[in-house]
Amino acid sequence: MSYTIPMGPYHPALEEPYKLDLICEGETVQDAKLHIGFNFRGIEHLAETRNYIQVIALMERVCGICSNIHTLTLCQAMEKLTGQTPPPRAQYIRVVIAELERLHSHVLWAGIAAKLMGFKTMFMTCFELREKVMDILQAISGNRVNYSMNRIGGVNRDIEDPQAILGMIEALEREMVRTVIPIFTTSTTATSRCAGIGVLTHEKAISCGVVGPTARASGLPQDLRRAAPYAAYSEMEFDVPVQQDGDVRARLLVRALEIMESCKILRQALTKLPPGELSTGDAKVVFTTGTATSRVEAPRGEVMYSVSWKESSRNPSRVHVRTPTFANMPAIRWMVKGARLADTPLIQASIDPCYSCTDR
Amino acid sequence: MTSTMTAVETKPKKTLLETLPQKLGIADPWVDMGGVRWLNPGALSVRDLAKGMNAVQARFVTITAVQLPADQGIRLEYHWDLDGQLLGFPYQLSANSIESIYDLCEAVDWIEREIHEGFAVDFLGREYEPLLLRQGDKLGVNLREEKK
Repeated sequence: MSYTIPMGPYHPALEEPYKLDLICEGETVQDAKLHIGFNFRGIEHLAETRNYIQVIALMERVCGICSNIHTLTLCQAMEKLTGQTPPPRAQYIRVVIAELERLHSHVLWAGIAAKLMGFKTMFMTCFELREKVMDILQAISGNRVNYSMNRIGGVNRDIEDPQAILGMIEALEREMVRTVIPIFTTSTTATSRCAGIGVLTHEKAISCGVVGPTARASGLPQDLRRAAPYAAYSEMEFDVPVQQDGDVRARLLVRALEIMESCKILRQALTKLPPGELSTGDAKVVFTTGTATSRVEAPRGEVMYSVSWKESSRNPSRVHVRTPTFANMPAIRWMVKGARLADTPLIQASIDPCYSCTDR
Repeated sequence: MTSTMTAVETKPKKTLLETLPQKLGIADPWVDMGGVRWLNPGALSVRDLAKGMNAVQARFVTITAVQLPADQGIRLEYHWDLDGQLLGFPYQLSANSIESIYDLCEAVDWIEREIHEGFAVDFLGREYEPLLLRQGDKLGVNLREEKK
């Protein structure tokens, strides 16, 4: 006889509210239904009532983890509508902030995953490292969550001492290599909780249209930083880690390896930071009528903004946001099918879901 | 540590992109605008488009719904990714309905449901469950019209 166990909308394993109805037989999950919308704030509609300065601050608040990514994607779309091209220094600074945000997001996720595995020491270690990344972001922007770095035509703040930031990155990388990555990749605790569970097959990953580390852990080598480079990514050398197993361990490995690649990108961007202006200036911003689209590889995968504007209007007529979790979350249903009930908190967390982004 | 570092193939399938309109039976050329390669689907149904995109292994990205001014209805912009190139196919809805492609492309499920809830667009041939709205809310209502 099957029975339904609700998980959420408020549950110790969930960082934000959403609900999974798990249809079980014994301890085995046979199927699952997902319910979202608990954080629905109508941000896309609200954006239509904000001018081109206010809308940047608004969209920064779509997500508390990848706040910078949202303003970066929005500003890139608005730059297409205003014909502005940010100067090279601004493009490099955008890469630095985006990669710091990826580091912060991945380490945060690793900490949460460790907690769900019952690996509390690792949780503490990850959060201590995350603090170091937050310190760097604070040193650059003065903020810890909403960095307010992006504007139409460039960035708001400079990186005045790249060498100091480089030193912090190297210290962070040493700690990652010394503790986090070896423990996550070789320890029995991590392996026994993650290997072979929550499998998303290559074929299912394609049909669900998953993105980011979730896709790369199922053997799909897609990364917009490579496939459709933006900012200064075309000038960076890095690899795209891909795993074939599609299980929780593969998603863990992809993120661990991406941390190292982010450090590699940060070193290049900070070393080669070109001189020059931070933005195209304070001249009046003039929009042309039309729609522009921008896509960025956020820590969880592809973010897409579609922005429509009417000439002489101060407000956008439409802002559509497609976040990575919106694409990844439906795949949880296939990951938990056949899994043990006790593994579902970790499986659902393995896509690094952001409900705030998803609901908007 | 075992890992696979894959250098992603960056070379776009140029030939494929160039021949795609012909394969889909569309006479119009691609138009580059605002970061998207647009193709006017003309009489091509959205289901035939989805079949065509599946055939070339394009990845579904999203559908953007746009309410047009002065009772012109709603335009749906279907987006697919073909090796890093974002493709766009606009469909102007005459009766606020269009065929669902959910059975052809699983990835459209949530966005079709979201557009049904926010813009009252009926995707024909599928059933809905509430997505963003909660139990007791009315489905299939244009929230913008409600606001007025």
